[in-house]
Amino acid sequence: MRSKGAQFAIAAVCLILGIMLAVQFKTTESYQANLVPARVEDLTQELSIVSQERDALVEEVLSLREKLKNARQNDPAMADLEADIQKANLSAGLVPVQGPGVIITLTDSAGELQNGENPNTSIVHDYDLLTLVNELKASGAEVISVNGERITARSEIRCAGTLILVNWNKIGPPFVIQAIGNPDTLESGMLIKGGYMGTLQVYGIQASIEKAEKLDIPAYSGAMNFTYAVPMKYKEKAE
Amino acid sequence: MWILVLFCLLIGLFIGMQMPVFLTLVYAKYMSIAVIAALDAVFGGIRAYMEDNFDTTIFISGFIVNTILAAALAYLGDRLGIQLYLAAVVVFGVRIFQNLGIIRRYLLKKY
Repeated sequence: MRSKGAQFAIAAVCLILGIMLAVQFKTTESYQANLVPARVEDLTQELSIVSQERDALVEEVLSLREKLKNARQNDPAMADLEADIQKANLSAGLVPVQGPGVIITLTDSAGELQNGENPNTSIVHDYDLLTLVNELKASGAEVISVNGERITARSEIRCAGTLILVNWNKIGPPFVIQAIGNPDTLESGMLIKGGYMGTLQVYGIQASIEKAEKLDIPAYSGAMNFTYAVPMKYKEKAE
Repeated sequence: MWILVLFCLLIGLFIGMQMPVFLTLVYAKYMSIAVIAALDAVFGGIRAYMEDNFDTTIFISGFIVNTILAAALAYLGDRLGIQLYLAAVVVFGVRIFQNLGIIRRYLLKKY
């Protein structure tokens, strides 16, 4: 029975087996290659290294700004511009400032959740902070910070998982908003009837406001790069 | 005979490597079961060939049906939440070793 037919059958089947094996090899290999970098330990280590680098870079930014300031002061031609630069820096949020104002503290609701109650209503959201910052601006606040992050013209306040991003830094509760301005105006602006502070308190969020004689608000510590925006001459008008 | 088998296997591997076919992770699992079933069929066929009771119809039908059945069983197991593919792996694994043992003895007797 050792016929040619038998040999041919075995050979044909081996050919198909070879194709199947090769496809399987390729598939397994490509998936294993994809799975390797996803290890938690590696990612954690990478995160801590990147965090350290970030801290170092923040230090560098601050020291370079100090050097720039010294260089300006030593140049007589630059001294005339100093006042203008100081004003522009203040607007941009690049210098630490001091002054009277208010401190708003927000903490998630401490009460136990009742049956049927939506847990989302008892925690502080990004839009709560955004609305309060907006209200403060409307009440005449000059400089605002959230958990020590200076609010600049380009600062975002955005939900990122369980935390909130401000100036690309993660912040969590309790949230402390500091605002420099006329303390009485700011306070009455925030505590106005039907205002947002009252709404938050209805939902059980612990929101409190207090006036302060002297507040220290730090400078924006990141870099401000403009890739697309090009300044125009003063006389030219935007279309 | 042996040279022919090895040669065809190598050609098959080459064709498979050149083919632009990639399986998603879901199908890769069923494919692995099918590969084991195919391996079992080939070793079974070689054993029968050496025992001189090779039947082409049984061999070819066994290869096709076992391969498809093994993949189908794994699929059914996934739908039912039972890891049925383990049964296929164990059965085919044991049979591959048995067949290989018998082939080895025949070869030792022959040479």
